[in-house]
Amino acid sequence: MEEFEKTLTRQQAAIEAERCLYCYDAPCQAKCPAHVPVPEFIQSIRSGNLHGARTLLQSAHPFIETCGRICPEEAFCQSVCTRSKIDAPLRIRELHRFVTDSTDPSDRMELPEVTLGKVAIIGAGPAGLACARELRVRGFSCDVFETRQVGGVPSQEVSTHRYPREVDEREVRFLTSTFAAHVRTERVTDLKPLVAGYEAVFVATGLPSESDMNVEGTELVGVYHARELLRKMKSGAISGAGNRVGVIGGGNVAIEVASMLREEDPTRDVTVVYRRGIKELKAFKKEIEEATEIGVTYQFLAIPDKIVGSQHVEGLQVTQAHLCGEDESGRCSFEPLPGSSFIIPLDTVVVAIGQRVDEGVFPGLVRSDSGLISVGENMQTSMPGVYAGGDAIHGAQTVVEAVRDGKKAAEQIAAFVAGGK
Amino acid sequence: MYREHDLSYDFLGIHLENPFILSAAPPTDELDMAIDGLKAGWAGVVLKTTSVESNPVNLKYPMMSSFGTAAHKLWGLGNIDLISQYHIGEICERVTALKRMFPTKMIAASIMGSRKEDWQSLVWQLKKAGVDLVECSFSCPQGSMGEAAGRMLAQSVEATEKVARWVKEAAEETPVLIKITPQVTDIVEIARALNRAGVDGVTASNSVPALIGVDVETLEPRPSLFGEGAYSGMTGMAIKPLTLRTIAEIARNVDITISGNGGAYSWSDAVELMAVGASNVQFCTLPMHHGFGTIRDLKSGLADYLDRKGCASPLDIVGKALKNIKGQEELVAPCSHSDIDLDKCIGCGNCFRACSDGAHRAILWDAEKRQPSVDAEKCPGCGQCMQVCPVNAIRMKEELDGKVHYFEFKGAR
Repeated sequence: MEEFEKTLTRQQAAIEAERCLYCYDAPCQAKCPAHVPVPEFIQSIRSGNLHGARTLLQSAHPFIETCGRICPEEAFCQSVCTRSKIDAPLRIRELHRFVTDSTDPSDRMELPEVTLGKVAIIGAGPAGLACARELRVRGFSCDVFETRQVGGVPSQEVSTHRYPREVDEREVRFLTSTFAAHVRTERVTDLKPLVAGYEAVFVATGLPSESDMNVEGTELVGVYHARELLRKMKSGAISGAGNRVGVIGGGNVAIEVASMLREEDPTRDVTVVYRRGIKELKAFKKEIEEATEIGVTYQFLAIPDKIVGSQHVEGLQVTQAHLCGEDESGRCSFEPLPGSSFIIPLDTVVVAIGQRVDEGVFPGLVRSDSGLISVGENMQTSMPGVYAGGDAIHGAQTVVEAVRDGKKAAEQIAAFVAGGK
Repeated sequence: MYREHDLSYDFLGIHLENPFILSAAPPTDELDMAIDGLKAGWAGVVLKTTSVESNPVNLKYPMMSSFGTAAHKLWGLGNIDLISQYHIGEICERVTALKRMFPTKMIAASIMGSRKEDWQSLVWQLKKAGVDLVECSFSCPQGSMGEAAGRMLAQSVEATEKVARWVKEAAEETPVLIKITPQVTDIVEIARALNRAGVDGVTASNSVPALIGVDVETLEPRPSLFGEGAYSGMTGMAIKPLTLRTIAEIARNVDITISGNGGAYSWSDAVELMAVGASNVQFCTLPMHHGFGTIRDLKSGLADYLDRKGCASPLDIVGKALKNIKGQEELVAPCSHSDIDLDKCIGCGNCFRACSDGAHRAILWDAEKRQPSVDAEKCPGCGQCMQVCPVNAIRMKEELDGKVHYFEFKGAR
C-alpha cells in the first residue's frame, strides 16, 4: 500500500542535515520523551555514517520505525528546534525516518545473560514492549501478556498509509525476537498470581474501552465505535460502513477513522462532526492535512443531539454552536445556539469521543476519578511490585510518551528488585 | 531603461570595458563559446593555452572532479585538463575573427612552449593575427613543458626569467603576462625575475596543485579513470584565500602589473582581488558553473560598489587594501573580549561549546535560559565564538580610555 509520505532521498536528507545548528545541550533532545540524541544522529547523517545514526536511534528508542513515521514532531522535537528562530525547524522526524528506511537494525547488539529473574508485563503495546526491552538489557527476561495483536495501537489501529504493515511487522518482530520477550495470550484479570510468580509486574494495558455518547439512537444499526472499526479495517476486513458517514469527535482517532473510511471507499462521503472550530481540533496537524488531502470534510460547530432513524441510522441531529472565550488550555469553549438544530443526513455514525481503561479488571489497584490507574513518582501502583505506565495511567497519548514510561518503569523495577523488595 | 555605470579603463594600454575577463580555460576553447561570452558582456577573453603543432595533447576524460557538501557541492573544482587541442594556426584564425567581430574587446591568447624557437614563433604568429595581449602559461599543474617532468616552469626562478625574456623579446610592444603558480617557496622571487625579464605583468595565479579526494570505499583517487587518478589543478571558491595572499604578496614587494585569477566567484571577490593589487580579474570556474550570464551581476555589483564608495573607475580600487596588510608582529594588540548581543542570540550554545573545547573556556552557559555570558577576565577576545555563531550575534569589544571599539564578524556573505 502506498504511503502518504515518501522517505527523504539521500540528497534531501544530506541537505536538510546541513541546516542543523548542532545545538549544545539540544532542546530537541530534551523535548523528546525518549531523549533521542537528535543533533548527534543528524551529524551522523551529515558525515554519511548511517549505521552510526541508526545505532544512536536504536539505543534510545525501541520503536524507531514507528516514531519515524507517526511521531507528532510538532508536539516534541521540532516544536523547540532552534533553527526556527532563523527560518524553519529541521524536519527531524523525516531525517529519523530516513535513517531507519536506509539501514537494517544493528546486529552489534550485546545482551547480558538473564540473571535477574522474570518480570510480567501486561500489554504488548509501545509501553509494554519498551519496558520488556529495557528489562532484557538489564538482565531480566519478560513474559508479555497480550490478548490482541502484539504491537498495540500502532499495529492495530493506525492506517497502513501512514504505517505500513511490513514496517510494523519488522519492528515488532525485531523487538520480540531480539529481546526474547515471551508473548502469552491468556487474559489477566487478577494480579495476585503474577505478583507471586514474578519479580515484578508492569501494567501497560492502554485504553481498551471506548466512551459512549449519551444521546438517543446509539442502538441503531449503523452506529460504530471508532477504534473497533479501525481494528477491523487494519486487520483487512471490510468496515461495513455506508456511503454517508459522520464521525463524531475531533481527536486523532476521529481523524484516523475518517481517513481510513475514505481510503476504503473513495466514493464515500466522510464528514467529521465537531462541536468546536478547526483551530480546536485536537488531532495532530499532519494527520488533519493528510485527511483533508484525501477528501475528508468537516462540519464544525455542531453539537450532536441525537442519532435519528427507525432501525437504521438516517441522520444526525445537531445544534449549531458558537465559540466563546478560551479555556485554560487556550482552546475556545462553545455554547449551543438555541433553536438552531438541523439534521445531517447520514447512514453511518462513528463515535470517536474518547477511550477508557477497563474498569472491571485489576480490582486491587487504586484509580483516579477518571478511572486511570494511579501511580507514584516511581511508577509504582498502590500494590507493591506492580508498576503501570502508558495510556493506562495518562489517558490517550503518543507512542514516544509510552516508550518513556516503559523505559522509566524498567529502571524503577530494576531498582525495586535490586533493593530486595 | 537604466543608465549603465561606465566601468571602462585602460589595462597595459588595452581598452577594457570592465575588469572581468574569461581566463584561458574551457570557456574560451571554442570560437562560438568565446563569441557568446563576449556578447554576454565579458570585457575580454584569454583563449585557452595553445602550443606548436608538434606538441601532442592527450586528454583523459572524465577530467573534472569536485569537493563540497550536499548543499554546496562545488567548494572546489578539480581538473586534469591539459592545454587546448587546437594548435597555434587555428588559434591565430580565431584571434583575427574575434578581433574583427569585437574590436573594442580584449582578445588575448595563452601559449606554452619548450624551446626558445617555439615560444618566439608562437608569439610572432599571434602578433601577426592581431592579438591584444599574450599570456604565457608557466604554471599548468599538468604536463608543463620544458623543465623537469612534473615541474612547472614558474617553480624555477632562473627558468622563469630566461623564458620570460625570450617571450618579451619576440613580443616587442605587445603586452605579455606570465601566468605563475602559487606553489613556490617565495612568490616574490618569481615576480622579481619577471620584472628583470621586462615582461608587462603577471597573472596571479593559476589552479592550485591538489589531490581532490580519495573514495574511502574503493580507495580510488578522484577523478578515477578505471581505478587510477592523478593530481588535479584546483579552482573555485576554496582557493580564493590562496590567490588573495599570492597577489598581495607580489603587490607589496614588486612593482609589476597583476591580472588576478583564481577563486573569484562574485563581484565582491573581484573587488577583494583588486584591492590587494590586481588590475583586472579573470574568471573560469564561475562561468563553468553558472554560465556566461554571471557577467551581469559582476558588472552591476561592481557598479553599485563603486557608486557607494564614490569611485570613478575600477582602477580606484586597485591596491587600496595593501596598506592595511602587515606582518603579525607589527599589529597593535587590542584588549578586547567577546560581546554577545542577547537580543540576537538564539540560544544554540555553539559559542559556549567552541570556547569550552577550542578556546579559553571564557563563555559561561545558563542551561535554564539557554543563554551564554562572557567571563571578561578569562576572555582574550580570540574571536572563535564569533566565527561559529550562526546569527552573527557576537563581536569583540574593546573599551580603552572611555572609547569603545568593536571587531565585527566578517565572513560568509
